[in-house]
Amino acid sequence: MTCSDVERVLPELLDGAPDGEFQTAFETHVKSCPACSDLVSDLKVIASEARQLAATEEPAPRVWVRIAAELRAEGLIREPESAPKSAPTRPILVPTSPRRRWSAWWLAPVAAALLAAGSYVVSHKPAPQVAKQQAPGTPAASPAPAPPAVAQTPAVAPASVPNPAPQQLAQKSATPTAIVGLTAAPAAEPEPSEEDQQFLSVVSTRAPSMRATYESQLQAVNADIREAQAYLDRNPGDADARQHLMDAYQQKALLYQIALDRIQ
Amino acid sequence: MTDPKQRITEAEAIEQAKQGHEAAFEVLYHLHKRRVYSLCLRMVSNPVQAEDLAQEAFLQLFRKIGTFRGESAFSTWLHRMTVNVVLMQLRKKGLPVVSLEETLEADDEAPRKEFGAKDVRLTGSIDRLQLQRAIDRLPPGYRTIFVLHDVEGFEHNEIAGIVGCSIGNSKSQLHKARLKLRDYLKFMRAEKAKTG
Repeated sequence: MTCSDVERVLPELLDGAPDGEFQTAFETHVKSCPACSDLVSDLKVIASEARQLAATEEPAPRVWVRIAAELRAEGLIREPESAPKSAPTRPILVPTSPRRRWSAWWLAPVAAALLAAGSYVVSHKPAPQVAKQQAPGTPAASPAPAPPAVAQTPAVAPASVPNPAPQQLAQKSATPTAIVGLTAAPAAEPEPSEEDQQFLSVVSTRAPSMRATYESQLQAVNADIREAQAYLDRNPGDADARQHLMDAYQQKALLYQIALDRIQ
Repeated sequence: MTDPKQRITEAEAIEQAKQGHEAAFEVLYHLHKRRVYSLCLRMVSNPVQAEDLAQEAFLQLFRKIGTFRGESAFSTWLHRMTVNVVLMQLRKKGLPVVSLEETLEADDEAPRKEFGAKDVRLTGSIDRLQLQRAIDRLPPGYRTIFVLHDVEGFEHNEIAGIVGCSIGNSKSQLHKARLKLRDYLKFMRAEKAKTG
């Protein structure tokens, strides 16, 4: 067997598919030929090391947030009729109250407000300036289905839905610089925006034990928005990056809605 | 995002997910997220796209979970679904799923190109990061076959069915992919040796 013969039969023999006719000649040649021996050894090492690469990467937490939101939207997630006490701990963002179901129309105004802002920002692609960090404002009028009375203070009437975000957002005029703060090299966590502070204030009042959790979730989603914005600024033509930024705004809208729905 | 305590087995999670329990979906997600995402990332070499593809794979799985009867392993079912999602995306983008070289070269008699120092040996351990980078450099068709076989462990007959090529084609593509990777890795190693 020659070196050319070895290269020709390698695809069949390398992965352990024994072939009596060629196997012995192959092995004899490889033992005696340094170049072919190196080749076979290298290819085996590549194959074995590659196997170690499976399941080494971890997706960002936002992937699950998006999946869960979509499952809810499609009605694939249903409240259990009787939740057993030994049921697994529910993720913190899941509304566990059996009193009210997740209704789409609650999501609409909040999501629409943030989505509209996201769309505006993404389509106008503001200059990457350092701006006052705030939740994205709506450039247009707030969505048609008006939400119930929005509580501006922590003293929220039980019947009303504390939903400061959309009202506040509608009141603020979005400008090209009214984006989540972006610095050239953010070294520390930026100060929460006015809307975020108000949101956390409501959470602190209605569910103090949840504040730390929602604060960290808010930091994470704001970091996603900043990261997505920064990536889009570096790659303005990247449609996936624009969509990613949109998704990040949507997640923030979901976070507001889930939290406010939970703490009623 | 907090991981839910996995007090239930995968089989129990599957049954509860069929009933629509969110915690069960989340258990299944966290059990398989790395495998799914890693597969997507290896195939498309883009973290943003990989996230979208992983999301879509899980959504398709959860939409169809009511039809899962346990004839095959759940992970196998998810694995296949993920591969199909990725391949569909590649086809949508017009990227070759299988290398076009196979259709252009009837008989690969041409000497293989080797670049980099010929005297640099690759035998021994391979830097995993360099291997990842080398895989990213592979043409999409080669990368698909290599990832499916050597990274994910699919057999050639499975790859042939998934990708739509012959078993011989799959073996040939894999071999060429490995040869290219060997060249890339030797080049990287030679470059590293030069810079010290």
